[in-house]
Amino acid sequence: MNFELINPQSFKELFLVLKKLKHRKYRYAAGCTDILIELKRNPEDDLTLVNLSQINDFKFRGISQTKNSVRLGAGVTANDIVRNLNIKLLYPVLWEAAYNLASTQIRQVATIGGNICTASPSGDITCALVSLDATCVIIGVHGKREIRIRDFFEGPRQTALKKGELLYEIIIPGNKKNTVKLFSSFIKIGTRRSMECSVVSIAYHIQIDGFNKILTSGFAIGAVAPTIRFTAKACDFINRKNINALTERDAESFALKVSEYSDPISDIRATRWYREKVLFNLSKSIIEDIIKCQIEVK
Amino acid sequence: MNTDTKIIGTPVPKHDAGIRVTGKAVYGHDIVLPGMLHGAILRTKYPSATFTIDVSEAKKLPGVACVITADDIDTNNISFKRDHPVIKAGEVNCIRDEIAAVAAETKEIALTALSLIKVKYKKRKGVFDPFEALKPSAPKINKFSIGNFKNKNIAGEFHYEHGNLEKQKKRSKIILTRRFSLPRMTHACMATSNITAAYSQSDGKLLLYSSTQVPFLYQRDMAHALKMNPSDIRIIQPVIGGGFGSKLDMYPFEPICALLSIKTGKPVQILYSREEEFIASPTRQPMIIDLTAGIDSKGNFTFREVNVIKDNGAYTSWGATTPFVIMQAFSSLYKIPACYFHATAVYTNNVFAGSFRGYGNPQATFALERMIDMLADEIGMGKDEIRLINANEQGEITGQGLHYQTCGHRQCLESVIKSSKTKIRTTSNERYKKGIGFASMLHVGGGAKIYRSDGCGSIVKIDPYGFCTIITGANEIGQGSETVLAMIAAEELGIALNKIKVINSDTDIKPWDVGVHASRTSFVAGNSLLGAIKKLKNKLNAKARQLMNEPSADFIYESGYLFSNQTRSKIAIDKVVREMQFTEPNELAIAFYFYEPLSEFQDKEFKGNVSGTYAFASQSIEVEVDTYTGNVRVLNVHVAQDVGKVLNPLLLEGQIHGGVLQGLGYAICEELLMNSGMILNSNFHNYKIPTASDIPEIHFTPIETNDRHGPYGAKGVGEAPLIPTAAAITNAVCNALGIELLELPITPERVLRAINGKQTSRTKKNLTVRNGK
Repeated sequence: MNFELINPQSFKELFLVLKKLKHRKYRYAAGCTDILIELKRNPEDDLTLVNLSQINDFKFRGISQTKNSVRLGAGVTANDIVRNLNIKLLYPVLWEAAYNLASTQIRQVATIGGNICTASPSGDITCALVSLDATCVIIGVHGKREIRIRDFFEGPRQTALKKGELLYEIIIPGNKKNTVKLFSSFIKIGTRRSMECSVVSIAYHIQIDGFNKILTSGFAIGAVAPTIRFTAKACDFINRKNINALTERDAESFALKVSEYSDPISDIRATRWYREKVLFNLSKSIIEDIIKCQIEVK
Repeated sequence: MNTDTKIIGTPVPKHDAGIRVTGKAVYGHDIVLPGMLHGAILRTKYPSATFTIDVSEAKKLPGVACVITADDIDTNNISFKRDHPVIKAGEVNCIRDEIAAVAAETKEIALTALSLIKVKYKKRKGVFDPFEALKPSAPKINKFSIGNFKNKNIAGEFHYEHGNLEKQKKRSKIILTRRFSLPRMTHACMATSNITAAYSQSDGKLLLYSSTQVPFLYQRDMAHALKMNPSDIRIIQPVIGGGFGSKLDMYPFEPICALLSIKTGKPVQILYSREEEFIASPTRQPMIIDLTAGIDSKGNFTFREVNVIKDNGAYTSWGATTPFVIMQAFSSLYKIPACYFHATAVYTNNVFAGSFRGYGNPQATFALERMIDMLADEIGMGKDEIRLINANEQGEITGQGLHYQTCGHRQCLESVIKSSKTKIRTTSNERYKKGIGFASMLHVGGGAKIYRSDGCGSIVKIDPYGFCTIITGANEIGQGSETVLAMIAAEELGIALNKIKVINSDTDIKPWDVGVHASRTSFVAGNSLLGAIKKLKNKLNAKARQLMNEPSADFIYESGYLFSNQTRSKIAIDKVVREMQFTEPNELAIAFYFYEPLSEFQDKEFKGNVSGTYAFASQSIEVEVDTYTGNVRVLNVHVAQDVGKVLNPLLLEGQIHGGVLQGLGYAICEELLMNSGMILNSNFHNYKIPTASDIPEIHFTPIETNDRHGPYGAKGVGEAPLIPTAAAITNAVCNALGIELLELPITPERVLRAINGKQTSRTKKNLTVRNGK
């Protein structure tokens, strides 16, 4: 493993670096939790790593709240999310995804930018952000643009980023004004409980008003398709329904709609059969859990 | 023996705990010798191929001191059956095969040199299934194999029987036949394999810093491989970062490192990377066990008929002898009137298996304890009840000739049944289902006489300052034997623990011992040390009588003094030593002893009392299964183990926890996956050992049976806690779900398939026979 390392201290410096590297092979690095392992396994010749973790930019490295959104810099670490009580309160799905990521040591350095831009079909934080219908803010030598995160992924390890661009921040829309209750969680299935790469994951964020009506919902599925997918039809199926009216049959119908978005592979972690079966069962369980709550209310 | 102990039985922390947790311990990886070169090994790309090799470019690389292939060395084959060439010439038979090695000034140069070696392979169709290898059409895999077997690919066979099988079959009410399938598990030691070799060209002596568990056997094996005199080889064991049986054999990288040092005249070090460790260190034997077992109408076991096929891999390690232990479980765990056992180790082009904590016993126990649950279901008895009816008893001499002078089997079972009585299987239609499973185990507890001697030598000395040095043949691989030996000396000599030193790592100094295996060290080395201390005390007593002018006194050793049992007057132990040493007739306060356990060799039919004593354990394990995903969560593990006598509750608890967790990994997630001879998961990312968050509550109850042969009554404890765990967990899952699992590990996918009624891959037709009585 051999590479040149550049450590820009500001975005101004970064863009100068990128101009210089225009005709060279370079890759970004921040927490380096994935890239060092990848380069050790498949060394690349004449590679430059541009280290983003020393860039001094509070927006890039911080979490901020505006009236209608929460903004996360791409340099925010998983641990930053875990320590943020606002996120725990507003977006449990995101907090849980960060909390269950890998191990304490890795969470200290792994960034959400890295999790997203690796574009792994099993990225945990990414899956949560897709369920929250987040937007990616991209900056580059030619300016700034925004793209919905669900459109950011073009295939396994392929993103919409062009050369000279990088992910700057992520905007999560605020919860609806009338929301009084959230069903929001991240379900991750693997063989063990920590240090695990998801075999199936589901992120969901359901907002409910004071009359038990589902105002809006977001579901995303991971590790069951070439990219993380937002299951729009399944969301449409439950949006505007009253949770007290949900039935076991709805749970099955809902799970079938989620399953339409899956197209899993068989690999050493699990077979296609297992991933499909578990995705269906877990999707069903989300509605079943809501039904259980409705009984508890009664 | 004094039963009212002061040190023995107390929770003394491991004496090397401080250097371990502060990073001061010197592992093999920390050794740096002047002028040391770095060695690296080129392994084959294909599991079965012929090849030609050209190392000329590698030799030209600046910084390379030496490149060797099979053509450059003159060695004997290694391994238990001497069927394993150190460097392979012209053909390879498994993905671990070493075809060249380099010594260079830096590790980077060595690795670059490997990449410059040109190898032309001619791939062959390998044989990766032992049943395929047994077909007449299969090619002969190991051309060095010896022995007169009915098939060219058989590496070893074991046959054992007792009782009248046909008679027992006739009186059986239920007979079941099942096929069990056990995976490859790897040791996953925290320290990767390592060796540093320093050969002196001036005197022809070879110094090895090696993590072996069996230094004296290793010395002999190394000498055989290199065609040297064993005593010209000195083995020093650095701190060892995990053994678990993996270091019972000598592997090719070790003589290769020695050869590189011999050729260059410089010290050479070889350290495995983690990937290399997964690929090139041994595994637990994968096995197919066909078991037929019967039960009579009252719930008494009638017979076991067992046929084991073991995937030996391409070469034969000590692991091929695991049927010694496997047959013991089948013949003697619970009362069994008749047993027929046959095991065959079969060569394949897979990686070769080695020895691993439990030594075949976890596999055997899985099959027989799963079978007991199925028999209980068929006959309609409780799974606790059926075990109690058949439990082993004190005084029993089993069909194989094992003599249970003490036996805590029943107490172990009663203890774990009582601990978990309240939480029996839930029957509701919930997503999460709870279940409980039982399993017991029998293992040697006083060594195992499989080598010419199962003994251990000890030297004990006291210096003129009252400090004691124990020089023991026993090895420390993290299990805590140094601490236990120091405690024994402190107990017997009344010397404070901080004044006791244990020397145990140098073959030039220490007396002989067969090595650390078979849960034998505390038992054998403990007895050996007690023997030496007894001799030393005779000397000290004689001198003290003379000094105190009390010719008929006996002495109590306490707080650094010898107290007369007659007058209660005292004399400091260091004073006695000084008087012995510095006044006529000028004698050293030193004594030595060689202890040989009273066990017997087994005869040709594998019958005989092979161990000084036997250990028993039972576990009951509660699990919760997610029927939506197949995930198993182990909630509570109740362990009751016949340990003879608790020597150190802290270290004992450590062994129990470590063993249970290794068993949990074996049950639920650990499997070295192979496809056509290639390893698919050579990293901790995909080879899954349990993490801290998978750890259940472990409740341990020691059962003390005070075996008169053990030191203070103790038995071996090291392997036992791992052995029944996978069986008990699987029994619990089957209990929770009402399914039949016959294959490990019970991954979420296997469990979910079973819930959905899908057969797992390797099970064949399973039979139930009900006799109409």
